[in-house]
Amino acid sequence: MERLLGDLKSGECACVKCIQGGGAIRRRMMDMGIVPGVELEVIRRAPFGGPLQVRLKGYYLAMRRGECAKIAVTDINEELIEQPLASR
Amino acid sequence: MKIALVGNPNVGKSTVFNVLTGSNQQVGNWAGKTVERKSGIIQRANQTIEMIDLPGTYSLTAYSQEEIITREYILRENPDVVMAMVDASNIERNLYLVLQILELAPRVVIGLNMMDLAVSSGLTIHTAELALALNVPVIEIVAAKGKGIEEFLDEAIRVGTLSQDPLPRKVPYPQALEQKVRAMEGLLSKNPWATRYPLRWLAIKRLERDPEIGQDWKASAPGISQSKDSCCDTGYGVSYELLKTTSLPGEELLETYEAEGWSKDHFEMAFADAKYQYISEILPKFRTTINPGKPTWTDSIDAWALSPIWGYPIMMAVLGLVFWGSFVASAPLGGAISQGMAWSAEVIVRLLQWGQAPEFIQSLIRDGIFAGVGAVLAFVPQIAIFFAFFSLMQDSGYLARAAFLGDRFMQLMGLHGKSFFSLVSGFGCNVPGIMATRTLEDPKDRLITMLINPLIPCVPRLGVMSAVVAAFFPGSRGSVVMLSLLMLSMFLVMVSALFMRRVVKQTERSAFVMELPLYHIPTLRNVLLPTWQKTYSFLKRAWTFILVASIVVWFLSSYPQGVPMQATWAGKMGGWLSFIGAPLGFDWRIMVSIVFGFAAKETTLSTLGILYGVAANASQSIAQAMTGAMTPLNAYTFLVVYMLYIPCLASVVTTYKESGSLGWTSFGVAYNLILSFIMGWIVFHGGQALGFQ
Ligand SMILES: Nc1nc2c(ncn2[C@@H]2O[C@H](COP(=O)(O)OP(=O)(O)O)[C@@H](O)[C@H]2O)c(=O)[nH]1
Ligand SMILES: [Mg+2]
Repeated sequence: MERLLGDLKSGECACVKCIQGGGAIRRRMMDMGIVPGVELEVIRRAPFGGPLQVRLKGYYLAMRRGECAKIAVTDINEELIEQPLASR
Repeated sequence: MKIALVGNPNVGKSTVFNVLTGSNQQVGNWAGKTVERKSGIIQRANQTIEMIDLPGTYSLTAYSQEEIITREYILRENPDVVMAMVDASNIERNLYLVLQILELAPRVVIGLNMMDLAVSSGLTIHTAELALALNVPVIEIVAAKGKGIEEFLDEAIRVGTLSQDPLPRKVPYPQALEQKVRAMEGLLSKNPWATRYPLRWLAIKRLERDPEIGQDWKASAPGISQSKDSCCDTGYGVSYELLKTTSLPGEELLETYEAEGWSKDHFEMAFADAKYQYISEILPKFRTTINPGKPTWTDSIDAWALSPIWGYPIMMAVLGLVFWGSFVASAPLGGAISQGMAWSAEVIVRLLQWGQAPEFIQSLIRDGIFAGVGAVLAFVPQIAIFFAFFSLMQDSGYLARAAFLGDRFMQLMGLHGKSFFSLVSGFGCNVPGIMATRTLEDPKDRLITMLINPLIPCVPRLGVMSAVVAAFFPGSRGSVVMLSLLMLSMFLVMVSALFMRRVVKQTERSAFVMELPLYHIPTLRNVLLPTWQKTYSFLKRAWTFILVASIVVWFLSSYPQGVPMQATWAGKMGGWLSFIGAPLGFDWRIMVSIVFGFAAKETTLSTLGILYGVAANASQSIAQAMTGAMTPLNAYTFLVVYMLYIPCLASVVTTYKESGSLGWTSFGVAYNLILSFIMGWIVFHGGQALGFQ
């Protein structure tokens, strides 16, 4: 099942499928370790529609919901189908 | 020998740097940037070593101002050895940068810091295995306790004196990618320009279409500064000049790949992907986790500090403490400085009288130089204590949490979570508020935050305002009036932020993707050293401007000599300006006090006192005297204008120094003035139309 990171409830885990859009924001996410295949856990969502606190690779990241809506995720137990790089 | 400290933000670079260089540091700016450049000279084993503390970065692809600096430094100045600092408790992401460094710089030593945190969160790192996997020396450190730092430096010196570059293990790329790298390497290997960097790195960057590949830069660096001032030299910026651009071979190959779907973005993604892939492959060799899922210190603190219910009250309490410390507890110190200045002015004037110096020199020294400079020096305790708290909050990791909580409100104004702290600080004093914008990565966010900060009334302004409010609006009406003024300021901050967004061109909205670091207990040295450096540089930069400005204000207000205030040049200026004041119902006296308020707004009451002929210096009696000459509506209009126009000279100077742009500073000043008068006009005429008097 494919969802957006922004739709996850706090405490839920998921696996990054792809990052939509490009440019600096995408490069930033890449630098922070958000690449396809990485496991993420939403720790908490700030009140009033504020940013999300996410755990990945053993550290914490804060991201706005707008940015989270660019990250498509799949459930972890679902086998990540290895895709050819060109389609990402 | 040149050694550079490189690593992610918050891994302990500055801690190591401070321990190694001690007080032997030079803090300047990178040319044309407001990012601090810290370097220091140390002597070890008959070697003179220049150490550089580079800004924290997550990768060597340019993103923020700081990252560009780090990248440019390594590319253009070729440090002999790179000390790559790694946070052991967050090793997986940290290694991503290390892999990039290893491709670019041949001589690298890894410092595995925060070993204590790694242990307490149940991680075991087998250092020898890590060294073996990457084929790079690795040293364990606990920088906060001073452990392993000397060994780290010794190892760096050893690597720096090797006769041949060591060969770190290469990142294996997937077959399809590796082929393309090889093909590009083949084309580049014969090019003379290409010999200066490792071939593999160059090929990768060429595939990513990195614009800097092929460029020749000349560093017009004085290298080691000759300045006598050992502590905080502000000069010595290195600037680079583009000499020429060589076009490298491989353009056709790139076009072929492009046609096959391998664009620039695609290459970047593929290389990043492969690096992370490689890290997760080698990770099990050197990292074992015991007891995963056990909540760490950070988890337990965050459960409170970021909780939807308690997060905001805790943040208010922390900010309250910062304010109390910097603006209330520091007040006696500031007062003592003012008194000390007044006292030394008296002593010097006595001496001058004894030496029969002319009257005007005495007045210049007492009322011009000492009064003006003293008003600024009185800020120093505030600024120092504020920065101590600021370092404490930044190093401990709380500042990132405050940004997390405040981001939603900042987003409404199109700003970044980190702007929140700058704006809140403005309530205390706009000068540190403007300086606090340094933590913002995006230069445009930073500029906007800096320009709207003066709209927030600082403590001294609030003091004058409440005295005037108390005189004109006694009883409970007073608090309603005060509240309405504060709401107005908030509203204008918001509107102005949105307006500035349109004026300040921004190609891409800045992303809020921010690390929430683990909590650390900051070391005393890490708090005190930057506090001292920042305070010192504030003094040093401000004082020439303030001195000149104080003399100008004194001159205007005391010449021609022996005439009443109204007939001095400043008084005449007020008179000329009364055509601006008239539509707002201001008489010349109010205009004069507004003109004088430029130097420092807290002087406004005493100026009004002189103009209304009230000898007493109690603020209540001055305000009382005003009630005879003004209607409440006049007073309210005055309060609005007073609250919104430029806070003081010191804030203007700080804006100029921090933005580095005369144009934007003038824009900010003009914006403030125009906005305040327009708001005053609306209030005055709106009030009249509604029948208030
Ligand atoms: N627990 C722990 N904290 C450390 C260690 N080294 C540094 N710190 C703390 O980590 C924070 C960030 O350090 P700093 O040197 O400013 O990092 P930089 O951003 O890389 O310059 C500070 O509060 C330090 O006191 C360490 O080995 N263990
Ligand atoms: Mg640092």
